[in-house]
Amino acid sequence: MEGLNPCVPTCTAPRGPALAPPAVPQLVARGNRYPLYQLGNPQLRVFRTNFFIQLVRPGTAQPEDTVQFRIPMEMTRVDLRNYLERIYNVPVAAVRTRVQHGSNRKRDYRNARVKKPDYKVAYVQLAHGQTFTFPDLFPEKEQSPDGSPGDEDIQDKLLEEQQRRQSRDPRRGGVPDWFGL
Amino acid sequence: MAAARCCRLKLRRPGLSLHTAAEAAVRAPEMTGPDVTAAPVARYPPVVASLTAKSKAARQRRVERWQATVHAAESVDEKLRILTKMQFMKYVVYPQTFALNADRWYQGFTKTAFLSGLPPPADPAEPAPALDVEALRAAACDCLLQEHFYLRRKRPPPLYQEREAVASPFLDQMVATLMGLLSAHNPALATATLDCKRPVHFYWLRGEEIIPSGHRKGRVDALRYQINDKPHNQIRISRQLPEFVPLDYSIPVEIPVITCKPDKLPLFKRQYENTIFIGSKTADPCCYGHTQFHLLPDKLKRERLLKRNCADQIEVVFRANAIASLFAWTGAQAVYQGNILWCEADVTRPFVSQGLNTLALTAQPLYETIEDNNVKGFNDDVLLQIVHFLLNRPKEDKCQPLEN
Repeated sequence: MEGLNPCVPTCTAPRGPALAPPAVPQLVARGNRYPLYQLGNPQLRVFRTNFFIQLVRPGTAQPEDTVQFRIPMEMTRVDLRNYLERIYNVPVAAVRTRVQHGSNRKRDYRNARVKKPDYKVAYVQLAHGQTFTFPDLFPEKEQSPDGSPGDEDIQDKLLEEQQRRQSRDPRRGGVPDWFGL
Repeated sequence: MAAARCCRLKLRRPGLSLHTAAEAAVRAPEMTGPDVTAAPVARYPPVVASLTAKSKAARQRRVERWQATVHAAESVDEKLRILTKMQFMKYVVYPQTFALNADRWYQGFTKTAFLSGLPPPADPAEPAPALDVEALRAAACDCLLQEHFYLRRKRPPPLYQEREAVASPFLDQMVATLMGLLSAHNPALATATLDCKRPVHFYWLRGEEIIPSGHRKGRVDALRYQINDKPHNQIRISRQLPEFVPLDYSIPVEIPVITCKPDKLPLFKRQYENTIFIGSKTADPCCYGHTQFHLLPDKLKRERLLKRNCADQIEVVFRANAIASLFAWTGAQAVYQGNILWCEADVTRPFVSQGLNTLALTAQPLYETIEDNNVKGFNDDVLLQIVHFLLNRPKEDKCQPLEN
């Protein structure tokens, strides 16, 4: 696509666990440290980021221009703006983020707490008056009155074949398989 | 047995027994036969909803009782006190906001219809006053040069506030100068008060919501809003301006209704003092508004919005500021006159204030550049627009001759 620049400039350094530097330097990996920045250094550029985001359906009604994402905890709103603009060419007007605490209340059979992981939610408002509604992913299938050829036939055929494979040889006449003849 | 007799004696009601009361009721219409029948006297207290029950009727009765106390209060200060004494969580509405599409949201909160363009002149038959455009232009250029060139500043302005640091004193000076020059044409300005950066507050209720959590979860609660504004300059006069449209004017434009909760704007709730203030206390004779001047901070300037892909939000910022500030000021003026907007004592007469987002006329800048003691490309139209705003005056004064 023209104008597509997948290079994403980074801003802040995440505080991940100290790992040994890999042989091929991979910047902006979740859990890695960014290289130190000193005044006069060039802008850090990332070409293959390790951040992956999910578009989710909002739980409560949002305005039409707002899109809701679940993003990694180390990602900031500036990172997300650059990500969407450079990789997906989506113009972003505003980003707001919050961290959702995952419940630690459930307990398993040993009474040990079961933690659901925390995640960061980002509300992105699109620029230039664009709107977005989360699509209906599971629309109701309309069943036609006649047996018209379609996906249902193929599914039925597959089911029949599976049943035939699992059933015993009809020429044996109901005699079980362990009987020697 | 003696005790039982005593109880029976005590239980007997004083006054007429049931038998005699029925006889009186039967006889009463016979006596007043030919005349108009008098209304039956209620013998029991009126059957009304409970005050403390968890029901809609009970809430309605509590609200009406509170509104009745407000109406029954004699002075405006008492009314204000009753309206604002109970503090609850309320939405804080900021007139100068970076939120996207804020003007549509604010129109929904304040039930304002936005008509683009300036209002038509109130009296087209009246001849335009003879303005000394040269003198006005000279005064404006003087104010500009004073701030940009003549004045030597010791320390540089704080970071990201360069424009504001120069524009703010310039605006103060210009408004004061124009008021002085135009008081000859507009006698209302001669007796007007000029406020610089005086707070204007307004508190109102609109709509209802179900409380999501807490000990009052599931109950219906009113939505409360507060605007705390600080207009850069405002002019208050002792008589009211004539209205642009009559009170029962049907607006051709639709007021936008937003279906989401105000939290999505984003708008946040806080509990603090509820205030309604026009810039001075109730005893001030200059209690009607004339004009407000606003200066947008550098945070919301054009260049920053363009960098953030918000080119269509530039207009929105100005409109939201105008809607919120003028609603707050006009509403507060109405409350000072005793018209409580949401308490069914709706405004009986229209209240008018006008606002000017200076440096909001960005489509037509006031001047192009300032080079060394010279203002280049001064735009007279913009100055004349400001001047026409300031020349608006109350209706009674229009009958008086211009020269006194």
